[in-house]
Amino acid sequence: MNAIETYQLTRTFGERVAVENLTLSIPEGAVFGFLGPNGAGKTTTVRMLTALIAPTSGTARIEKLELGADNEAIRQTVGILTETPGLYERLSAQQNLFFFARLYNLDAAKAAAQTERYLRILGLWERRDEKVGGFSKGMRQKLAIARALLHEPKVVFLDEPTAGLDPEASRIVRDFIKDLRAEGRTIFLTTHNLPEADELCDLIGVFQTRLIRLDTPANLRVGMFGSGTRIQVAGDAATWLASVKPLPFVHDVTAQGSALSIKLDDPDSQNPALIRALVAAGADIRYVEQITHSLEEVYLELVDSTQAQQDKVSMNLPGGRK
Amino acid sequence: MQKVIILLQKEWLEFKQQRGMLFSIILLPLLFTILPVAIFAISRFANLSGVVNGVSTSSGIGKLPALAGLTPQELVQAVGGLQYSLFYILLPLMLPSIIASYSIIGEKTSRTLEPLLATPIRTWELLVGKSLIALLPSLFATWIGGIIFIIATALLAISPHVFAAVITPGWLIMLFLWAPLLSMIAIAAMIAISSRVNDLRTAQQYSAWAVVPFMILFFGQLFGLIALGTLFALIVFIVLIPLTLLAIWLTTKIFQREVILTSWK
Repeated sequence: MNAIETYQLTRTFGERVAVENLTLSIPEGAVFGFLGPNGAGKTTTVRMLTALIAPTSGTARIEKLELGADNEAIRQTVGILTETPGLYERLSAQQNLFFFARLYNLDAAKAAAQTERYLRILGLWERRDEKVGGFSKGMRQKLAIARALLHEPKVVFLDEPTAGLDPEASRIVRDFIKDLRAEGRTIFLTTHNLPEADELCDLIGVFQTRLIRLDTPANLRVGMFGSGTRIQVAGDAATWLASVKPLPFVHDVTAQGSALSIKLDDPDSQNPALIRALVAAGADIRYVEQITHSLEEVYLELVDSTQAQQDKVSMNLPGGRK
Repeated sequence: MQKVIILLQKEWLEFKQQRGMLFSIILLPLLFTILPVAIFAISRFANLSGVVNGVSTSSGIGKLPALAGLTPQELVQAVGGLQYSLFYILLPLMLPSIIASYSIIGEKTSRTLEPLLATPIRTWELLVGKSLIALLPSLFATWIGGIIFIIATALLAISPHVFAAVITPGWLIMLFLWAPLLSMIAIAAMIAISSRVNDLRTAQQYSAWAVVPFMILFFGQLFGLIALGTLFALIVFIVLIPLTLLAIWLTTKIFQREVILTSWK
C-alpha cells in the first residue's frame, strides 16, 4: 500500500509555478529522497503534503487521508522536521517537547512519557531542564527530530535533517533515520546531501518544479550511465582497444593510462568472455572492477539536462531569449 | 478550547522569562496608578492656592458640566483626577501591543510558527490563544489599576463632590467597556503589523499609534471640548463594537496558515 499518493499536484504563487503536475506514489515503510536544487519547489511540496498550504490543483492522499478534506487528521498523522529547528529558546528541552506533545493530542501523562522517551533516545535526557537557547546546533536538531516523532506519526517529513551538523551528529541522525525505517515508518527526506540520500533512500525523486525522475538509486545510476567494467592492465591500455571493440556485446570502450573502461549491458554474464578475449590477445590483467557512478553524478546530469531543455524551450518561445 | 489552554500555559512560561515585557506590564499600570493617586494626595494636603486661581480662570476644563458647583479647592483636585484618570485608556491600548508583539513576532524570529502550524491546532485556537495572552494580563492590569484609583479617590477626595466628578459613569464605561474592545483592536493591529515586520523594535514603534486616542481625549477634555459623559461614553462604546468586529474579521483574514507561511515577511 502507498503511504503517499499525489496526482498532478500543482501549486502556483501568482504567475510563478512552484510545483507542476507532481504525480508520485511512495510505498509504506519506504525512505523517499526528494532531491532538487534550491528553489525547485521542495519545501512547497512538503508544505502541501503536510496540509500547511493548499494545492492550486491536483490531489494527494496521505495514509488514505484526502488533502483538503482531512487536513487536521493529516497533521495528526504526519510528523515534520522543518528546515530550521524552530524551538522556544526560553523554554527547556522538556517544556518544548511537552508543549508540542499536548498539541498533538496526547494527554498529560502520555505527553510526559513520550517526552522522556525521545529525550532519552536522542541522548538529551540529562539536559532536559536546560533552556534550549544554550543548546548546540546538533542538540537543537535532535530535539526538533524528537518533536516530529512525539505522536508516533506513520509518515515523517524531514527537511535537511543533517544540514550544518558535524560528522558525528550527522551519523547519529542518519542512524536514527534507519531506526525509523526499521520501525516501518514512511520517511520523506529532503536533502542536498547526496551520499546521505544514497545511503538512506529506497526511492529517489529528482525534482525541479516537475518530477524529473523517480526510481531506486541503483536504477537511476544504470538508467543514466549504463553499466560497465573497468579493467586495469599492465602497460598502455590503448594497446588492447582493438581486441575489445569487435566483441558483439561491447557498446563502448575507452582507454586511459592502464585502464580500459568498457560499457556493457550485463557485466555479470559478459565479463568472463571479455576477460578471456583480453587474455587470449596477450594482455596481463591486474584488476577488474565494476564501474559505479555516484548519485551526485546522476543528480547533476539530470538537473543540468533539465535546465538545458528548459532554456531551449524558453529561447524558442515568442519573446524568448534568442 | 483545550489547545487554547495548552497554548496559554506555554505563553505564560515564556512570559515569565521575558524581563523587558514583564517590566513594561508591571511598570505602566503602576505608574498610571501612582501618579493620579499622588496628585490626589498632594491636592488634598498641600496649599495650592496659586493653582486654584489658574484652573478656575484660564482653563477650559473648568467649564465642564461635571465640575459645576465645585469649590476652587475641589476643582483643583477634580481636574487633576479627571485628567489622570484618562491614563486608563492608554493601558488597554499599550499593554496588548507590547505583549502581542513579543508573542507573535517572537514566534517569527524563533521560527517556531511553522512547527506550530504543522500541529493539529486549529487556526482559530492559535488566534484565540495569542489574543488571550495579550488581552487577559492587559485587562487585569487595567482593571486592577482602575479599582485602586477608585479606592484612592474615595479615600483622598476632599469631598464626595470630587469623587462624583472624577469617578463618573462615563469613566466607568471607559474603564470596563471600552478597555476590552480597545485591547482587541490593539491586538488586531499588532497581528497586522506582525505580518509585515520581523523585529520587535519595529513592531513596538508602530504601536506608538496607541497614544492617539488618549491624546484626543486628554486635550479635548483639557480644553473643555470633550466631556466624558455617560452618553458620550456609550456612543463611543457602540461605535467601538463594529470597529472591534471589523478588526477581528481582518485579523482572521491575515491570521491564516497559508497566509502566514507564504505572505508574512
